[in-house]
Amino acid sequence: MLTQIGQTVTCWNCGKSPEEVHFCSHCESLQPPTTDYFEYFGLPRKLQIDLGALEQSFYRLSRRLHPDVYFRRPERERQLAVDATAWLNDAYRTLKDPVARGEYLLDLYGMKKSEQKSSNVPPELLEEVFDLNMALEEIRTGDDSVRPQLIEAKAKFENLLEEVDHSLEAGFGEWDRTESRDALEKIYSVLNRRNYIRNLLRDVNAELV
Amino acid sequence: MAYSEKVLDHYNKPRNVGTLDKNDPNVGTGMVGAPECGDVMRLQLKVNEETQIIEDAKFKTFGCGSAIASSSLATEWIKGKTVDEALEIKNTDIVSELSLPPVKIHCSVLAEDAIHAAITDYKAKRAAREGSPQPANA
Repeated sequence: MLTQIGQTVTCWNCGKSPEEVHFCSHCESLQPPTTDYFEYFGLPRKLQIDLGALEQSFYRLSRRLHPDVYFRRPERERQLAVDATAWLNDAYRTLKDPVARGEYLLDLYGMKKSEQKSSNVPPELLEEVFDLNMALEEIRTGDDSVRPQLIEAKAKFENLLEEVDHSLEAGFGEWDRTESRDALEKIYSVLNRRNYIRNLLRDVNAELV
Repeated sequence: MAYSEKVLDHYNKPRNVGTLDKNDPNVGTGMVGAPECGDVMRLQLKVNEETQIIEDAKFKTFGCGSAIASSSLATEWIKGKTVDEALEIKNTDIVSELSLPPVKIHCSVLAEDAIHAAITDYKAKRAAREGSPQPANA
């Protein structure tokens, strides 16, 4: 989807440059999304976003893109409305959630989650996660008497997750101020840590049910 | 998705689970991880200084069956090999031995990374030792 960004865009219907993100300013036909999610919602590429503004923009666009509105339009435009609506929903879900929003921004700057290699994970984090896993395993191998320890571990992971979310918020703030590579790196490592801790929490919860 | 028989075998009877003394100058420790799936893998090897042969290898992996099987197999394979031979093991060898499906290929990459990390650690220790003055009886 992102490959289209930066290309010269012409309106599928009248062939002119549409000049506007959602509709052609010449013939008013619906345009397929060619921007990133932020721009599509008319938001700056910032991470501490105004959720109210995002929601308003989402509702407004949902109404304008709704496939029912295109009932009498050409087949091509009806399909565009279906696609744009699906895209809009993905975009909204992504930007609404801080973690998904952070991952999406990293993706825009070529720091793709799926291409993470172990070499990108700081050794201290691996040590920490390894130790936490060891501790959890030790508790798990015990009988019912270990339940208090599991509950303790759960509280610990929840605290860590809260801490991580604070760091994420700080990383977001830094990005919004500086738009620097440094800030992206910070967010990247915080998200990695968060993923590990969330998994640990999931494991301990599974033991407790 | 079903695991292959070889994966299940390693998963149910992992070889060489355990710990080597990471302060032993002849032991290299490699710690790697894949945050996306929450995997962490620690692979350790003990090298005979004279022959450069890996005499012992241990691992401990927290992760899915394929990650455990990949690291278990890796320790089996590197034992008895020289350090240089061990570096030649490719993740694709692990993939074909365990018949890993495409979505689990990253587990084999992790195991290869772990071998490399452990050897890098061993070599760094050796270099540090050679660089610094040796005790008279060493």
